[in-house]
Amino acid sequence: MLPLGCSRRLVAELRDALDDCAERQLQLERSLRVSRRLLRTWEPAETPAAEPTPEPETDEEAPPPDTPSPQDLRELELLTQALEKAVRVRKGVSKAGERHGALGLKSAATSRATTASAPPGASGQAGRQTSETKPPRGIHQTTVPARGLPECRLPSVGDRTRMGRGASTTKPRPSLRDQQIPPSATPRAPEAFTLKEKGSLLKLPMAYRKVASQNSRLWAQLSSPQTSDSKDTASMAKTQFLQKMKTTSGWPGSGLAAAEVEAEAGLLRKACSLMRQRMEEVLSAEPADRIQEYYSLLTLEGLQAITEQCLHRLQELRAAVAGQQLGPWTEGRCCRASLSCEGRTDPTWSPQLLFYSSPEELQSLAVLGLRVAMLDQQIHLQKVLMADLLPLVGAREPPGPPWLALCRAVHSLLCEGGERFLTVLRDEPAD
Amino acid sequence: MGRRRRRGGREHAVGALPEAIAALSQTLPAGPSPEIFRRAKFDRPEAAPALWQLLFRALSPPAAAGARASPALGAQVRLVKSALCSQGYPRRVLAQLPEDGSQGSRELLLALAWLLARGPLLEHLLARTRVWLGDEIPLCQYEAPANPGPPAPCQEADGPVDIRHLQWLMGKLRFRWRDLITSQQELCALLGKIHSYTRGCHSDRGLDHLSVAEIELLRDPEGGRQLLQRLESENTRLEAALEWRRRELVFWQWMDTVLGSCPLEASPATFLPRDPAPGPGELELVARELQSLHGELQGAAEPRRAAWEAKAGGCGPEWGAAQRATQEAVGQDLAALQRAWEQGGAPAQPHRPCRLVKRDTRAVEGPGLRAAELTGALRTRESRLEAALGRLQTRCRQELARLAGAEPGLIWILPPGR
Repeated sequence: MLPLGCSRRLVAELRDALDDCAERQLQLERSLRVSRRLLRTWEPAETPAAEPTPEPETDEEAPPPDTPSPQDLRELELLTQALEKAVRVRKGVSKAGERHGALGLKSAATSRATTASAPPGASGQAGRQTSETKPPRGIHQTTVPARGLPECRLPSVGDRTRMGRGASTTKPRPSLRDQQIPPSATPRAPEAFTLKEKGSLLKLPMAYRKVASQNSRLWAQLSSPQTSDSKDTASMAKTQFLQKMKTTSGWPGSGLAAAEVEAEAGLLRKACSLMRQRMEEVLSAEPADRIQEYYSLLTLEGLQAITEQCLHRLQELRAAVAGQQLGPWTEGRCCRASLSCEGRTDPTWSPQLLFYSSPEELQSLAVLGLRVAMLDQQIHLQKVLMADLLPLVGAREPPGPPWLALCRAVHSLLCEGGERFLTVLRDEPAD
Repeated sequence: MGRRRRRGGREHAVGALPEAIAALSQTLPAGPSPEIFRRAKFDRPEAAPALWQLLFRALSPPAAAGARASPALGAQVRLVKSALCSQGYPRRVLAQLPEDGSQGSRELLLALAWLLARGPLLEHLLARTRVWLGDEIPLCQYEAPANPGPPAPCQEADGPVDIRHLQWLMGKLRFRWRDLITSQQELCALLGKIHSYTRGCHSDRGLDHLSVAEIELLRDPEGGRQLLQRLESENTRLEAALEWRRRELVFWQWMDTVLGSCPLEASPATFLPRDPAPGPGELELVARELQSLHGELQGAAEPRRAAWEAKAGGCGPEWGAAQRATQEAVGQDLAALQRAWEQGGAPAQPHRPCRLVKRDTRAVEGPGLRAAELTGALRTRESRLEAALGRLQTRCRQELARLAGAEPGLIWILPPGR
């Protein structure tokens, strides 16, 4: 078992990292859901909600529990013919109206979306599409009993008749009414709208465009530099106010806030990594001539001097932290981090445009972005783990096999990213 | 109020205070009414809870502010106190206010003014809830939590764990990243399709195609209405913010009087109890890194200097000029390096959200990033990070070998595939 403080710290760090991933995953899944829905066929919002894609009820739905009697079937035939006649009348208005009719019927009937067997669906779709081009043929197609729409209608009508005979006669009327809905001229024909086929017909509503342009105009105004004199007097007033706040309080401290210490520590950390990078570049390069040799030498010495300055600054910070009450470190640690993050970025930037030319390009960019974030996180975790685990191994307790197990685990975590393990063999002297 | 108006010599700002406060209250998210501000000047207790809540919203991290239901008033009070304290809020009175949130409205008003004076608080709050209309991919860097500190108290009191638990957590983390990457790839493919299907639809020729948010608005009228409402309310807040900018001077003059009406603080007798010091803190970690770097630099530079001095004889006069030139070049080089970290790093820090636009890159002119360039920059960054991680791992290997090597009678067989 690891010591308590060490356990808590490391578990907390790892849990943070896991939470960060979980949040990203949530956001991604949300976006995925929305995008997938957009790419599927859209459900028409105004007409009764239905999946116009081939999802008609199949035959096996209605008959088995309650096979319609022959008389029922005859009535259905009559009804079907009446509907077809209505459709024929309507076809003169427009082909869209006819599709409405088909849609209306199906939507009135479909109580639950069921997966249709492919052939009826496909021919139904085909039926509709050909009906687009050749109305008479379309009507004829709708009467084909074995395939296509009537098959959908029959069980649906059968459904209704099950509910009550009286209702059956009233049933066609809603669908006729549906047929009388004037075909909408907008490209949002509520029938089989897919982004793929009709995406280029979309147009943003005027109300939205006005509001959106006003929005971007206001943001631009907010981020533009203000007129000088109002800004000056206001900022003078602000500085005076801050000064007064400081002097009227009884605060004895040097004014170094915890957040500022943290920010400086971050800068020093960054300095360290940049300097280390430069050092390694210098060390790995072979000097070609004396001048380059001298250059490398001076660079190394210069870096050494800067490191000493940084260490000095760090000492000052540590003294400041120890010497005065900076206030409790708290659960607000993420709070501080976010504030400092916000402090670095200008909040009123308008979004920049990022041009990409192909999905593959976008994919590789996005994956790279994630990999960079992952590596950042891994490096941070590596440092934290090193700081806590290496001393444990050095302390060599508990001695014996538990220590060996610890060594092995630590090696795997720190040196192999937790992916591979080494083996420890006891070297028995051969007698 | 009448009194304020009669005060002369305040130029055109006479009578503008109510408007200024109204603008401020409209800009703030769920801002307290102007009446609360007036009551707070007189330290009325009923104004306190609203101000605590406002400060909580302003100071809590952006993600938390939106997602969860707000915690109880006591927890909000605690967080506000600690956040202000860590930012260096100069007045002690705040820390001594009771946690039930029933008092201290004047102090809270001062705290709000202090935050407003120090930085662009309003702009930040507006930016947090900004309505984004474009599609974007995450290019933000991982922000490591700055100071480990004591673990969040909301977690159950963890006992000591076995190292296998840590290994398990690491493995889980690896899998989560893998999932993330596949999901992101899928999303990019979908976005590519969506963008190409809606080519030419956008009223703004520069954008050319619609984004997911815009298509959603068309697909789902109800959602579209909500989006419009959000945009409209954001516009109202933006206008209020601009109005505030015009009028804020009179607010600051008023705050001076509020500050003046506070009793002067006695010198602080008690310090706040400090939480038990955490483990290796941030400063400690940085100190260790800097020290090891220093050691390595010293180890590399000294022998080279010695070798150089040994060979230094026999340089002609032209060497002096070359020497000076080299010194200057190194000086400039290192100064540039120092600027790099002091100014916050590489130029294209992508904290700024980018709206994706699918366009044949040959046809692109004007401002904006190109994916190909960003990819190149990220690849360099990736290889640097991989190298850095590799170096850290090597250091660990060496250190562990040293520690373990002292143990006799054991053979360590390293895993293959390194």
